[in-house]
Amino acid sequence: MTKFIFFSGKGGVGKTSMACAHAVRYADEGKRTLIVTTDPASNLADVFEQEIGHQITPIAGVPNLSAMEIDPDKATQEYIDRAMAPIRAAFPPQIVEVMEEQMSGPCTAEVAAFDRFTDFLDVPSNNGTSFDIVIFDTAPTGHTIRLLELPAEWSQSIDAASAGSGQTCLGPAAAIQDAKHKYERALAAMRQTSQTSFVFVLHPEAISIKETRRAIEELRKLDIENFSLIINGIIPPEGAQNPLFAARAEMQSRYLDQIEHDFDYPKQRMILLADEIKGAGKLRRVGKIFFDGEPASGSDEAARVHLQNETFASPLDDVRARLSPNGHRRTVFFAGKGGVGKTVASCVTAVWLARQGFKTLLLTTDPAAHLGDVLDTPVGDDVTEVSGQLNLWAVNIDPKAAAETYKTRILNDARQRGRPESAIKVMEEELNSPCTEEMAAFDKFIEYASQDEWQAVVFDTAPTGHTLRLLELPVDWSKQIDVKVFASVDATAADDVAKQRFAKVIEMMSDPEQSTFAFVVYPEATPILEAWRAAQELGTVGVHPGLVVANMVIPSEQATTPFVQSRRAMQEKYLAEIGQRFGVPMVQIPLLPHEVKGLEMLAELGDQIYSEQVTV
Amino acid sequence: MTNLIPALNILPSSVEPIQVEFFDPPMCCPTGLCGPTLDQTLLDVNEMILALQTEGIRLERYQMTSNPNAFLGNVEVMRLVREKQMEALPIIVVNGKIIKSGEYPSLSEVRAALNGAN
Repeated sequence: MTKFIFFSGKGGVGKTSMACAHAVRYADEGKRTLIVTTDPASNLADVFEQEIGHQITPIAGVPNLSAMEIDPDKATQEYIDRAMAPIRAAFPPQIVEVMEEQMSGPCTAEVAAFDRFTDFLDVPSNNGTSFDIVIFDTAPTGHTIRLLELPAEWSQSIDAASAGSGQTCLGPAAAIQDAKHKYERALAAMRQTSQTSFVFVLHPEAISIKETRRAIEELRKLDIENFSLIINGIIPPEGAQNPLFAARAEMQSRYLDQIEHDFDYPKQRMILLADEIKGAGKLRRVGKIFFDGEPASGSDEAARVHLQNETFASPLDDVRARLSPNGHRRTVFFAGKGGVGKTVASCVTAVWLARQGFKTLLLTTDPAAHLGDVLDTPVGDDVTEVSGQLNLWAVNIDPKAAAETYKTRILNDARQRGRPESAIKVMEEELNSPCTEEMAAFDKFIEYASQDEWQAVVFDTAPTGHTLRLLELPVDWSKQIDVKVFASVDATAADDVAKQRFAKVIEMMSDPEQSTFAFVVYPEATPILEAWRAAQELGTVGVHPGLVVANMVIPSEQATTPFVQSRRAMQEKYLAEIGQRFGVPMVQIPLLPHEVKGLEMLAELGDQIYSEQVTV
Repeated sequence: MTNLIPALNILPSSVEPIQVEFFDPPMCCPTGLCGPTLDQTLLDVNEMILALQTEGIRLERYQMTSNPNAFLGNVEVMRLVREKQMEALPIIVVNGKIIKSGEYPSLSEVRAALNGAN
């Protein structure tokens, strides 16, 4: 029986590295191993230092190991091609075009990625591609949960549809009916503890612990139980010989105690290495440290370190020009992989803008948001004034809550129009489809993005892949409306209003005078590459990065021990790369001895990074 | 994008011929609930279908993606689709005869067609 191992955890905790180290270890033990990523911003290719792509690819230098990156765009195209084949053959081109446009919506992409993903849980035994172990380097937590939640919801949708009362919004009915059994088997396999296990990778930090707890609870609701934990990034004794790292090690030890106390699952620990994890050789060394308890020899790398003694800082006027309202409203989007510090960056920026006297709204659409933790004040799904900070308001768009509001509004409207209860009942069932959440969250996003009362709006956006889909939605939707008009279904006045609203948002997002896309990264290879890919994808919708925020930068004066020097040297290499690659101003947030929490600390940090020429 | 009354799919059509057939234009959801704004026309259509079902009328609704064969199997419908393309849709067939093309009929139009044919 094929075993399945899912690696879960917020982006940036070393999930991919740990998944790859496990994959290499199992393959070296002679097990036929496949590692699959469903992350829209996959970095398997970076870790293995070879092209992988959308098919099962053997990994050079590791016999028995293959890898595959499920490319959501390709998966969507394959799915559309399958559904469209009979249409293309028989219908005139105009109709084919309209239908393809229809199928390019966000739901199709979600369905297609999941469809491809479940293929691997349903591995056939006799076609030569059977594996002993399939490892899933899953997408960041919020997205993963959405993917895993879907089968249950889909089964409901499909049941409702076949009961004759409901429909689904998931794509061609035939494809769904075929897939139903596949999805059910997938979920059954995930629940089978003898077959499937979930490994949560986390850092010994408050937010990471909270994320893990949340993810475990979500999975438990789906009757999935087989969990273990890898606590990664633990500062080793030789790393803690300088004040900053000693303070962070001290902070970590408190959280390690908390993890021991809070989680009743098997746990393993992995230390922070002085250098990067890339290539099969390095992955084998990680395996020796992790599985066999061998000591990490960091000093050999440290011996070769040459610090460049450069700050890489951009002129503050350039930075501020891209954040401050300039005669009209400024919207700042923080993009980047989950866990790189988008929330901290957006909170610091929003507090700084509010302190400059601008009426500022801070907003998140991230299902795994922790805005309230950082602001140290409750943030709900209504716009709330942040007490203790003049000019600052905050709101958290919870997709589930937004979906409920949206449903209520639509049903009330239908009742007012005098629609009979039987019709309302059908509508209600319809609105339980997974699309409604996406739609409702987007509806809210547009609502706030269109408000004129704010001088500055700061978006703590969702992780990269999800962000892209959300941000691409306005373009998709405006096409959708065109299609509707085109499809000779009556264009209502409401459609026109909606269209104008969307057009305004698209215009706003692609105008650098009004909007700034700030990419938050760690100065490390993978986050930079991911941000770069995300930036390129945004470029296709006419949106370009305006700022890069480098987070967790080790201050040069702290590079006092070989371990810290080695890590600072690695960061300098990547700080230089950020400048070359993006060609936009860069802001640096220093690695701090403590977590960022509370308005006072945010204000102080904002002054440090935006108002003083700080030498990092 | 399934049919509104897929339960009827399992009935052998030779025994109980379908009385009313809707050939829809391509759309995200035939209920009109899936777009950024509600499509009241489609909600009206839905209501009409529920009313007809309540009266015991045998009715089918076809989507191009899920039921391309329903389109392909009807010579008259395909002739209209090839000729006028998108403008032809929706097409409504009552007792095998096209009663409306390019827009949805009202409930009374469908009733009249049903009565007229009887």
